[in-house]
Amino acid sequence: MCRRKPLATPLFSGLILSCLLLLSSSPATSQTLDELHKLALKEGGTLNCYCTLAQINAIKIFPVFEKRFPGIKVNHVDATADQLASRAVAEARGGRTVGDVIQASIENVVQVFEQKLVLEKVPPEAEAYPAYLKGTYWVAGDMIYIIAAWNTELVKKTDEPKSFEDFADPKWKGKLMAEPRDVELLMGLARSKYKNDEKAVALLRRIAANNVEFHKGHSDLAELLVAGQGAACLTCYSHHYPPRIKKGAPVGYLLAEGIGTMEGTAVFKNAPHPNTAWLFARWVASEEGQKVYAQGGRAPAHPKVEPVEKVRPEKIYPIGADEIKAWPKYEKTWKEIFKLR
Amino acid sequence: MSTIALPRTVRSTFPLLRDPALLVPLVGAGVLIYLAVLPLFMLLLGSFQVEVAPREFITSLKNYKEAYASQHTYSTFVNSLIFAGGASLLAFALGTILAWLVERTNTPLRVIFVPVAVVPLILPGVLEAIAWIFLLSPKFGYINVALTNLFGLQSPPFNVFTLPGMIWVHSVGQVPLAFLMMVAAFKSMDPSLEESAMMSGAGTWQTLRRITLRLLMPTAASVLLILFVRTLESFEAPALIGIPARIYVYTSEIYLAFSEYPPDYGRGSALAVGLLILSALGVWLYTRSTREGKRFQTVTGKAFRPRQFDLGPWRWVGFAFLLTYFLGVVLLPFLVMLWASFLPFFSAPSWKSLQLLSLENYRYLSSFRPFWDAMWNSVILALSTATAGMVLTSLIAWVVYKSRLPGSWILDFLAFVPITVPGIVLGMALIMLYVAFPLPIYGTLWVLLIAYVTRYIPYGMRSASGAILQIHSELEEAAGASGASWWQTFWRVTLPLLRPGFVAGWIYICIVSFREFSTSVLLATGDSRVLSILLFNMFEQGQVTVVAAIGIVMIFTLLAIVAIFHKVSGRVGIQA
Repeated sequence: MCRRKPLATPLFSGLILSCLLLLSSSPATSQTLDELHKLALKEGGTLNCYCTLAQINAIKIFPVFEKRFPGIKVNHVDATADQLASRAVAEARGGRTVGDVIQASIENVVQVFEQKLVLEKVPPEAEAYPAYLKGTYWVAGDMIYIIAAWNTELVKKTDEPKSFEDFADPKWKGKLMAEPRDVELLMGLARSKYKNDEKAVALLRRIAANNVEFHKGHSDLAELLVAGQGAACLTCYSHHYPPRIKKGAPVGYLLAEGIGTMEGTAVFKNAPHPNTAWLFARWVASEEGQKVYAQGGRAPAHPKVEPVEKVRPEKIYPIGADEIKAWPKYEKTWKEIFKLR
Repeated sequence: MSTIALPRTVRSTFPLLRDPALLVPLVGAGVLIYLAVLPLFMLLLGSFQVEVAPREFITSLKNYKEAYASQHTYSTFVNSLIFAGGASLLAFALGTILAWLVERTNTPLRVIFVPVAVVPLILPGVLEAIAWIFLLSPKFGYINVALTNLFGLQSPPFNVFTLPGMIWVHSVGQVPLAFLMMVAAFKSMDPSLEESAMMSGAGTWQTLRRITLRLLMPTAASVLLILFVRTLESFEAPALIGIPARIYVYTSEIYLAFSEYPPDYGRGSALAVGLLILSALGVWLYTRSTREGKRFQTVTGKAFRPRQFDLGPWRWVGFAFLLTYFLGVVLLPFLVMLWASFLPFFSAPSWKSLQLLSLENYRYLSSFRPFWDAMWNSVILALSTATAGMVLTSLIAWVVYKSRLPGSWILDFLAFVPITVPGIVLGMALIMLYVAFPLPIYGTLWVLLIAYVTRYIPYGMRSASGAILQIHSELEEAAGASGASWWQTFWRVTLPLLRPGFVAGWIYICIVSFREFSTSVLLATGDSRVLSILLFNMFEQGQVTVVAAIGIVMIFTLLAIVAIFHKVSGRVGIQA
């Protein structure tokens, strides 16, 4: 054994390790969703979903899941992503895991992972996703595009913005709104559009001089824009606009460019219903589940599934797994630029 | 007969099993300690625990240092005081003027304003806040848009997202309480002192200023105190207006300490302990002032009817005030909610928006499962809290006022403790207790039931004790002499006689449980979501016109519950 060529040893052990890994993960990978469904049913038929999906989307998506897997009922614990992360951590401190699966902004999924609360495992369906849409414990559940939007009654056709840079014009003073937690705008501009931090910071400082008004919650922001609280919105979600425009709301949105961020799905380590959690995580990542997400008004992350509505910008500045690591640095600058607490 | 099965030794060792008169107080004390004291103990414990690594704690004073020595401490404290002081003064002023006009003057049509003034009691605080956001939001609020267009103003005259905005929204919700308390005070006033003043040549205003108002001082102080404490504890305006406007008070700081990442239970508990002390101090002063008030007793055994002031032509000013209050404070929030509930998205009244009106939101609600789940949860909780709360407090009131057991005052004290606990503090304490509790009730309706019953024990006690004091002991003694057991006497004699107080307390607890928000905001999740929380979440998610439709359904459901119970209780001969 000791005379074996040096290269062969790591190769051989690597092979054994891969075989072992394959074997250890075989229950999940070799099972079909229907087989997993049978196991899930033995757990009582409940899925505690710590999911940020707004009710308007949830009522279109969860019933399809429940119909596809009869006997499973989704207990949707809905709140903002940081509230969900916070709740999961607080429960863990009391020695309890209530959630089965978390689906939230990727930075909040990272926070829960850092507290050692999620399984370091991804569903086999993740293979279809590009590297920036998955990690070692999460897969993108749906895409969120941060774009600019405006109220068509307050913004003349000729004044409609064509890019984020347009908002630096003093004519927007006192007319802009944004979400206080959208650090992604700074990151997307700095790392992807300009590939230069200073340039992105300089632009945002000029925009900040126009007295941006901040409101928490993107849906709320969209509704405020419709109502005319502000003339334009700097960090709105693209999927909020098609349904509102269909109802006749006076809004328009910019699809020329946008920041591509995502919501990740991860399974809790001590989930009370582990197979049900895994079933949901796999279904969400599957082409089938992603089509349902698209029908439910969200932007799918699966490369083969197209969004139903016009929500995908032409130019996307992606916030992937690498960008997330730089989050704290950019968050500090973002808060400093806009004087946020 | 059941005692026969027990061996003699067991019976002698556990005499309690045979004697409910002893068993009830002991169980009552146990239940009260469990409900009111244990969560507070957990809260206090938690306030000294500091997490050094994920799920590793040490005991330290660091939480208090962070909660009370941070850069935000001062602004939170000042904001809380301004908010509570401003809202209690405004609610008191409005309530007192209304009560005086209705009770002591010859203002036209004043009688019909009595029921009108208390209508906002039905309106849940979350809805009240949302309605005022619709009306006074700086850019799209209906009142602002109308005034800006009418007078060609450069900027909107009002902004609800300010401290005065929060004060206004909270105080209009408190006016009915101030009104009812002041009506009672005006009603029970002996007119002889005022008459003497008039006889001695004092005019209407002089009598009002120098006699009436001075006589009212003790009551006024106690009403102000209770309004102050209630505002300090409130979370609706701080959540819906304060947080977006970045104006933080104690309740919102506690909420954010729990719900923002990373959750800071320690700091939250330390803040909660501070709020608890402030609130307890307020309640203590209140009880002291009401006790002091007895020295100024205005109700005597003498038959009298307080005299009415003749306002002369000023009575029309009084009428205008009542009418403005009715239109502006009672009707307008309801109308704006009703209007929004027919719109696809929020929009000011105009010819264009008139064409958008439809029943779509109500149609949406009819198949919106989370709404029906939340409605079911709210109704079940309201009915069971009212019933459990009143049965429990009736038993405790009996022990306190009828059993003549030594130490029964302890039960009275324990039943009063929850009034000092702000809703959000109780929510936080219960999470800390039940998240680690072996009983799996965390995240279920049970924990909400426990929270609601705990919160409303003091109100139930007030109704039950008032009624129990009126029952003469000889009725129970007669039942006992006729061979009835303790339970038979309680169910067949005491409880039926208690009915009027029981019904009044039941209705009140039912209403307040149905609209409860500040405790539920931390405890209700997923399957245990109640209507007020669904409203809050959906408002945050931007479905504002659906929220308006839910609000309208909620108001009518409450009215229906009250009406049905009134009718049923009326049929069996109960007057609430």
